[in-house]
Amino acid sequence: MPESRDIKGIIRHVAEVIIGELKLEDVTADTFNPDMDLVDELGIDSMDLATIALVLQDEYKIVIDEDDYPKLKTIRLIADYIKEKLTAKS
Amino acid sequence: MKTVSSLLDQDWQARYKRIANLNIRSSIYDVTNRCNLRCKGCFFFSSGEHEVTEEMDIRKWENFIDKEKERGVNLAILIGGEPTLCMDRIEAFYKRLPAYCATNGLIKISRDKFPDMMVGISLWGGSADEKVLRGRDTFAISSKNYAGDPYTYYLYTITPKQLGKVEPVIKRIADVGLKVHLQLLSNDEGVDGFSWREGELKDLRREMDEMLDKYPQTVISSKYYHEVITSGKMMGRRFGWKECPSVTESLDNRKPQTRRLIHFFRWASDLQTVHRCCTSATRDCSTCKDGAAHMSWIMVNKRDHMSSTKDLQNWIEVYEMFAKLYRFIPW
Repeated sequence: MPESRDIKGIIRHVAEVIIGELKLEDVTADTFNPDMDLVDELGIDSMDLATIALVLQDEYKIVIDEDDYPKLKTIRLIADYIKEKLTAKS
Repeated sequence: MKTVSSLLDQDWQARYKRIANLNIRSSIYDVTNRCNLRCKGCFFFSSGEHEVTEEMDIRKWENFIDKEKERGVNLAILIGGEPTLCMDRIEAFYKRLPAYCATNGLIKISRDKFPDMMVGISLWGGSADEKVLRGRDTFAISSKNYAGDPYTYYLYTITPKQLGKVEPVIKRIADVGLKVHLQLLSNDEGVDGFSWREGELKDLRREMDEMLDKYPQTVISSKYYHEVITSGKMMGRRFGWKECPSVTESLDNRKPQTRRLIHFFRWASDLQTVHRCCTSATRDCSTCKDGAAHMSWIMVNKRDHMSSTKDLQNWIEVYEMFAKLYRFIPW
């Protein structure tokens, strides 16, 4: 599991996963706007999101329900979702 | 980093946003094994896919469709055989899910019962080709059954024999107040003279483009789709088994995993058997010309089209075409 479980750390890690999985160029976890709309602006689709969700599920040992995908529109919203799941688990 | 707003002006961004969140989850259902035609080149019969025991109990169909809905399907594509031979099954789908019915148009679907169900009528050319390949000129009947219907279009499968003769077919369709989408014959049964040659496909692309320019209110298509389906290439890649997005999910063991339609299945009419893909397992994928498979191929590769404004606009036009054909957005 990623070391940092505070919201800032989760945001940073989600950004790293997205950059890695989508092979994004010209952006780093530090410069990635956590409020950018991932569908409307970055152009990811549900298959991208499923791939990202699989990695995050594995790393944080949580379940990301497919029905929740439409809610996960930004890095911040994904991080909030993960934080909530982690809190519920502990 | 390339983003939507860095590539598109405001009008195109609005078009993008209209389709970007549709999340279409389609699956295909063989409604019946029976048909009132036996067309040369029909993959369903030539591949033996009709050789399953058809489920006859309508309650089993209803339960099955309920489960499909729970599985997340939001577009049921009804094929066969001829689905209109089993109106009760069409009704079971229509009452539960957005549905599209592919038919030869010989039997009229009642608009009292199915007021807004999308109907696609198969057409294999002009009168002469229809008689050779299907035994009769179906247009004479189907056009009377559906003239002016706002939820119906022709799915015109162009054959090599139709080169240079596409316009009269489009005009006939325009004259009865219907729309048309274009795809290409794959000639699964090797009918003599109906297989494509390289030069013919280039000529056809030009002809398809001309039809779109000349009949923009009738032809539902895009030039990028014409390019991809006639060349079999997209972004430098070639269509085939390794690339096809329309493979039944439970049978898809390709490595590395390709970009595909999520949760796509094609179910046989026994409601248990699944077929390999949206056409037939006996088809050579490298020569497959299925229109929906090529459209989907483009659609699932969105981010590959985010390298330039033109590429992303091409992607949007193809997605809009698909969304119109299945009525997720108006014509």
